[in-house]
Amino acid sequence: MSLEELAFLALAVVAVATALLALLVRELVHTILWIAIFFVDLAAIYFLLEAPFLGVLQLGVYAGAVTVLLLFGIMVTRKRIFSREAATGIGPIPLALALVTFIFLVSAVGELPQSEVPVRSYAPSALSVLLFGTDGAWLLLLGLVMLAGVSGAIYLVREGRD
Amino acid sequence: MGLGVAIAFGEMLSPGTYTNVQITWLHLPPAPGVFPNGFSLVMGTLVDPLSSLMLVVVTVVGFLVMLYSIGYMHTEHGLPRYYAELSLFLAAMTGLVLANNLLEFFLFWELVGVCSYFLIGFYYEKPSAASAAKEAFLVTRVGDIMFLLGIFLFFYAYATAGPNGGWAANGFVFAHNGSPFLAGVMGRNTPLLTVAGLMILGGAAGKSAQFPLHVWLPDAMEGPTTVSALIHAATMVAAGVYLLAVTSVFIGFTPTDQLAIVAVGGFTTLFAASMAVVHPDIKRVIAYSTISQLGYMVLAVGAGFAMVGLYHLFTHAFFKALLFLAAGSVIHALGTQDLFKMGGLKKHMRVTAAAFAIGGLALAGIPPFAGFWSKDDILGSVYSTLGSHPLYWPFFLMAFAAVFLTAYYIFRAWFLAFSGDHIRDPTLPPPHEGPWVMQVPLVILSGFAIVAGLFVFAPGFASLLSGAGIPPTYTPTDLGLSAISVGLGAGGIGLAWSLWGNGRVYVLPDDSALQPLRRLLLNRYYFKVAYDAFGLRVVYTVARGADFFDRFVIDGTVHGFERMFGAASDRLRRMQSGVVSDYAAYVIAGLLAIFVLLLIVGPYVVARLGGA
Amino acid sequence: MTTLALTGFLGLSAALLGVGVFGILTRRNFILLLIAVEVAMNAAILNFVYFAAFPPNGGSGLSGQAIAVVLIGFAATEVAVGLAIVLALNRLKGTINVAQATDLKL
Repeated sequence: MSLEELAFLALAVVAVATALLALLVRELVHTILWIAIFFVDLAAIYFLLEAPFLGVLQLGVYAGAVTVLLLFGIMVTRKRIFSREAATGIGPIPLALALVTFIFLVSAVGELPQSEVPVRSYAPSALSVLLFGTDGAWLLLLGLVMLAGVSGAIYLVREGRD
Repeated sequence: MGLGVAIAFGEMLSPGTYTNVQITWLHLPPAPGVFPNGFSLVMGTLVDPLSSLMLVVVTVVGFLVMLYSIGYMHTEHGLPRYYAELSLFLAAMTGLVLANNLLEFFLFWELVGVCSYFLIGFYYEKPSAASAAKEAFLVTRVGDIMFLLGIFLFFYAYATAGPNGGWAANGFVFAHNGSPFLAGVMGRNTPLLTVAGLMILGGAAGKSAQFPLHVWLPDAMEGPTTVSALIHAATMVAAGVYLLAVTSVFIGFTPTDQLAIVAVGGFTTLFAASMAVVHPDIKRVIAYSTISQLGYMVLAVGAGFAMVGLYHLFTHAFFKALLFLAAGSVIHALGTQDLFKMGGLKKHMRVTAAAFAIGGLALAGIPPFAGFWSKDDILGSVYSTLGSHPLYWPFFLMAFAAVFLTAYYIFRAWFLAFSGDHIRDPTLPPPHEGPWVMQVPLVILSGFAIVAGLFVFAPGFASLLSGAGIPPTYTPTDLGLSAISVGLGAGGIGLAWSLWGNGRVYVLPDDSALQPLRRLLLNRYYFKVAYDAFGLRVVYTVARGADFFDRFVIDGTVHGFERMFGAASDRLRRMQSGVVSDYAAYVIAGLLAIFVLLLIVGPYVVARLGGA
Repeated sequence: MTTLALTGFLGLSAALLGVGVFGILTRRNFILLLIAVEVAMNAAILNFVYFAAFPPNGGSGLSGQAIAVVLIGFAATEVAVGLAIVLALNRLKGTINVAQATDLKL
């Protein structure tokens, strides 16, 4: 087992564990901590896959911005920041659905080649050429969706609407 | 109205043309054994000599009746309903006249029927009106079912006949490229076609109140007089005759059918006229005369002179509407329909009296009024066939005898109502003429009743009559025949005058040998009693059985399903909790179900398609 | 040069999606719901990055990375809208417990 595989295995275990912990802990602020670790962990996986640009993006957008946004959301909706969630029972149906989803997706793994393949790496500049190519259609699309989202968000939270 | 007349004039200018516009709604591919060449549903309009003539009748009389209604109905409640129903009726009638195929014809036919039900039952608070409406609907329904059966039989017989692989494949259209669609196969004589023709006759008899389905029309007088004038004199009852005419021109009757039609028509003329002789109700007298006159038309169509029949329909529509509207004027003024309570009205209601007299003269067939020309035309043309069809003789004689009775009963009504010097029932209000909107239609219709018969001498109209591929038959050569019929008419009027003229009231002596006959006539040959008894004994028993079946078998099944779905939906209702997570669970479960289904079914589909 | 097997990656992303679905279905706090959605979203993004790194038939998988970039942007937008909903919900209901927001019920 190569070093890379070992690293991946470790990162994967950490990713699943942190995701589960983030959803299961009853302290909301702890959730944010776990999810931040989850995001950083994913960024590491991206670096492992030789996609450094995405790794940086993951760190900046997810581990940075999204985490802070979620924390902000908790801050404004809670009277005390450190307050515990009421325990919620885990019904059998959601668990079954989640398991079926997992098994279903894993069942597709068998269709793929099992051998080790060299990871293909791209220069970040090639990615930017693609993103800005065709008159920047990719980024234009992204920008438009973000604009619509932000407009909607502002509409939702503006004062004196009710 | 203007459009209808314009179309008729257009048809006169180019006689014998068929203007056909149609769209195909649905085309079924050929199915072996059912319709080997496919089957089409089409909607379209066909303007031909038959329909253009009818169009004039429907639109002109309809317009005048609408105008008259403004005055006659102004004190009634539910006027929006009245005018809506009347408009729907006129629209349906126009559609019927312009229909270019048998199925569309049937569609409008039913629409006309249901409008008639609405209008007869206009005074639905009155039990007699409600039951009359029901009766009209049910009796015509008997005819409608027969009509439908006739369509089925024609479908069966002509599924493969005609150009382009069959009538059914072309949507039962009447005309095709300017000629009758079934021109090549018309006149075939098979038992199947005979039965089909008889079924069509049944449908027409129901709608046109011919014997033995005549019972509903006199009772239909429960509706407003305007309705009687429009529907039960000028247009709707004419639909039956029109159906026979269209069938005879475009589909063709077998000789047996023709004899049956002649028999029904001829017998009805005399039968209905005899009942009118004794009746005391002014509107019912006119109603019986309508049945009788429709008998003449049926007789003519049956003898093979469709256009002559329609010609009588044309003139009859005007003078019969005139009679009804004049009667309506009397009823409007007095509030009663009993002839024996009236009298001396001609002093107070000059316009109405004159109009009723003109209508009566036209009905009695006195020249130069409209009825003379068309009735004489019918008698003349039927007479011309007697040589080759000796079986027509009795019915011809019946129709001839009915001329005398017609003249007698209509003038009996006139003398009873208008002559004399005082009203017999002093409790009635003093009579007066209606407003101008009621008088104008009377005057216009009087004009038509005088001159409509003379139209036949106008070249355009004559060519219209001859344009349907039928030989021009109006040749009043048989002057002797005309003389006899006029003589009979005059004799009838004379008898009426001697018995009822000048305010006289003739009372049949109690010991007269004619008393049983009078009772028979007054009770309308006991037809209603017999039908009621039949309905009570046979139909009610069957209905009880059907009711049992309906309640316990059909309803049981239906309620079972209802309970099943009710219980299921009750469970399902609880699923709608409003909680987002639950909805997400349904979405994910559904998605997974689709994926699993694709995994299972997908390989089979791929294998079937032979791809990937 | 790094060499890795594809199977493990797919297993990871399947597991993450399972965790995300599980969170979406069980959590009642709206913010946790959002986080669960983010986990599921990341599973999807991860897949794009894998297939960019292991393009089939030796072709270029660069568009996979491009889509991943766009998706990260979408996810950020989604969090912004989600938080706006959290705020609106909090103001309207005084809680962000989705079990108590049953306005979808007729």
